Amino acid sequence: MKVTVLQENLARGLSIVSRAVSPRSTLPVLSNILIATDEGRLRLSATNLELGITCWIAARIDEDGSTTVPARTFGDLINALPSDQVQLTLDVKSQSLHVKGGTSNNDIKCIDAQEFPPLPVPEMEGAIQLNVVDFKEMIQQVAFAASTDEARPVLMGVLLSVDKDKVTMAAADGFRLSVRKALLSNPAQQPLSVIIPARALNELARVSTDGEEAIYMVVPKNRGQVLFRVKDVEVVSQLIDGTFPDYQQIIPRSYKSRTLVSTASLLKACKQAEIFAREGSNVARLDIKQSKGEMQPGEVEISATSEETGKNETIVEATVDGGSVLIAFNVKFLREALEVIRTPNVALETSAANAPGVVRPVGDDNFLHVIMPMHLG
Amino acid sequence: MPRVILHLDLDAFFCAVEETHNPSLRGKPFAVGGKPDERGVVASCSYAARRRGVRSAMPMSRALRLCPNLIIVPARHRLYSEVSKQVMENLRNLTPLLEQISIDEAFLDISDTREPPARIALDLQTAIKNELHLPSSIGIASNKLVAKIATEVGKKSAKGDGPPFGLTIVPAGQEAAFLAPLPANMLWGVGPKTEARLAELNIHTIGDIANWPESDLIRRFGENGRDLARHAKGQDERPIVLERETKSISQEITYSVDVREDKVIEKTLRELSGEVARSLRKNDLAGKTVKLKIRWPDFTTLTRQTTLSQPTDNDEEIIRTALKLLREVRKPNQAVRLIGVGVSSLGAPIRQLPLWDAGNEKSRKLQEVVDELQDKFGKQVIKRGDVV
Repeated sequence: MKVTVLQENLARGLSIVSRAVSPRSTLPVLSNILIATDEGRLRLSATNLELGITCWIAARIDEDGSTTVPARTFGDLINALPSDQVQLTLDVKSQSLHVKGGTSNNDIKCIDAQEFPPLPVPEMEGAIQLNVVDFKEMIQQVAFAASTDEARPVLMGVLLSVDKDKVTMAAADGFRLSVRKALLSNPAQQPLSVIIPARALNELARVSTDGEEAIYMVVPKNRGQVLFRVKDVEVVSQLIDGTFPDYQQIIPRSYKSRTLVSTASLLKACKQAEIFAREGSNVARLDIKQSKGEMQPGEVEISATSEETGKNETIVEATVDGGSVLIAFNVKFLREALEVIRTPNVALETSAANAPGVVRPVGDDNFLHVIMPMHLG
Repeated sequence: MPRVILHLDLDAFFCAVEETHNPSLRGKPFAVGGKPDERGVVASCSYAARRRGVRSAMPMSRALRLCPNLIIVPARHRLYSEVSKQVMENLRNLTPLLEQISIDEAFLDISDTREPPARIALDLQTAIKNELHLPSSIGIASNKLVAKIATEVGKKSAKGDGPPFGLTIVPAGQEAAFLAPLPANMLWGVGPKTEARLAELNIHTIGDIANWPESDLIRRFGENGRDLARHAKGQDERPIVLERETKSISQEITYSVDVREDKVIEKTLRELSGEVARSLRKNDLAGKTVKLKIRWPDFTTLTRQTTLSQPTDNDEEIIRTALKLLREVRKPNQAVRLIGVGVSSLGAPIRQLPLWDAGNEKSRKLQEVVDELQDKFGKQVIKRGDVV
């Protein structure tokens, strides 16, 4: 193999695929990145067997070939090279990759490409086409609510369902639920419902930077995998096997009190409360008070107390429709939900101190977030 | 203004409780404690038994040799702690400035109480006797040290067969004079070793200590010497400590004979976990760390602990966690001498409610009902199926 690439292209490609490298694997080749010539371009791939990322970069190819390079050594080296051409030459017999950039000459010990697990070659026919901006926003609004507890694998995933021209993502960690809907520009031929690891979607959101491009998604039959292609990057992930909880059942159908409030003000108040709440059990109290007279606004009093550090109390003006409510939430949950809401105003629907609260962006029916309160004992 | 500190000690508490439940024991030599063939010791003994030389903490086998017709009554610790709680509540009605120092002993600061100390003491003794059928002895002085010694003096000077019902009041200013004739070992901090070293100096009474140069006591006994000198003069500034901060709640049990049956050990662990959970709930606490303690027949002791994602006061959850720890550390049929369970990292019982219930909320509701029934009708009225 003998190829010439631009340092910045190679550096960018390595930064994209390196997130799938598993540095502490018992299989040494998984700490490496596969580099292979591929129809006039250089293909970079990394996988941890659950998640695989492939990226193609422009290259001048003088001689075809492939090998796997230790990710850390290769990545650090390329980042340290001058922004110029980089020549990669493989000595097949010794599996030694000569890397030349400017006046810098390096030889890296590689592992034969034969040992690298084969990544699926996707058949993109019948792929579902998703708008990058929408899809990235969906991921940001949903994936954070997935669980990190390995004891319940299903909850570590995001349920993605497609039905005709509707696509829905939902994630729940057992205490909160995030649901986001969007429309497809081209209706899907077949309905689809899969659980994708939240981590894979987060990586996909990270690599799909170009707002103009579309994301193509395929779920090959009986493979337990999902493939995404965006421009010159492919992300393949194992699906999570299992049944996602029936989340529709969790979404309250009614409320006793609806509080309209400025998203930014409530978010600020939550951030302040969290400074004290995080010292204890993360609990913040929301005292939602109805207006006392016609000319007076209602208000939400957010407060948190820490035995060690002190206490905080912030009042945010609100329009309270229905009765007054005193409810306690994990303020981190509330803050994280408010952070992904784009509308200037947000509605908080509550029914009782021990019943789920619903957060909705005002004027946007595509998103909703359910948070269970905390019981104060 | 000198303080007025009242020290109350229930006379032969465990025995007195047993007598109220079984009047036929009255006046007879009996002891509460374990059986002699099961490494039992005397936890408490009746005054009739005391006259034969039986003392608490004595091995039961020795107690029987001293007093062959001694009646052995098995201990009912839960009953005692319930009665103790009633006594303490009675005392708290008088003043919230209460420091409970053991199951049957407490200090009260009655400096600001309007009635004269002697009146208060007699009223307390009468109330506890009439309502709970328990005899008690009281010492009153200007500090904790002298008050406690006053109670002991009152108990020792009692005559007759019945409980002492002691009441000793040391007026402010009389502390040193009151202590002076008493043997040195009645002073806190004078154990057998210090007592022997004092005896070498020909110091036998508290008064002897008070008269000895303080500088020499400090030279011989270090910081303890300074305390000795001050205490011997009847000086003690320590305040009433209102509520000890609870750091952990635990329960343990030593088997009378080593047990190797998995079922028996797991049942014990369930019971202990249930008791821990119950006392957490009673104290309005929940804890995040569950700890298992286990002692093998060779006396090696292990502890294993795990931290939960959120604080718990729930029977089920503590039992489940404790059993998991047990199964990790103990092989099936491995013999066990002692087993215990504790919960720490305590705080208010705040918990995140779940979106969908995995059974915890249901078990909590059940718990509340069981607690209520047990509070009303006693612990035996309802129990978990797996500990019956």
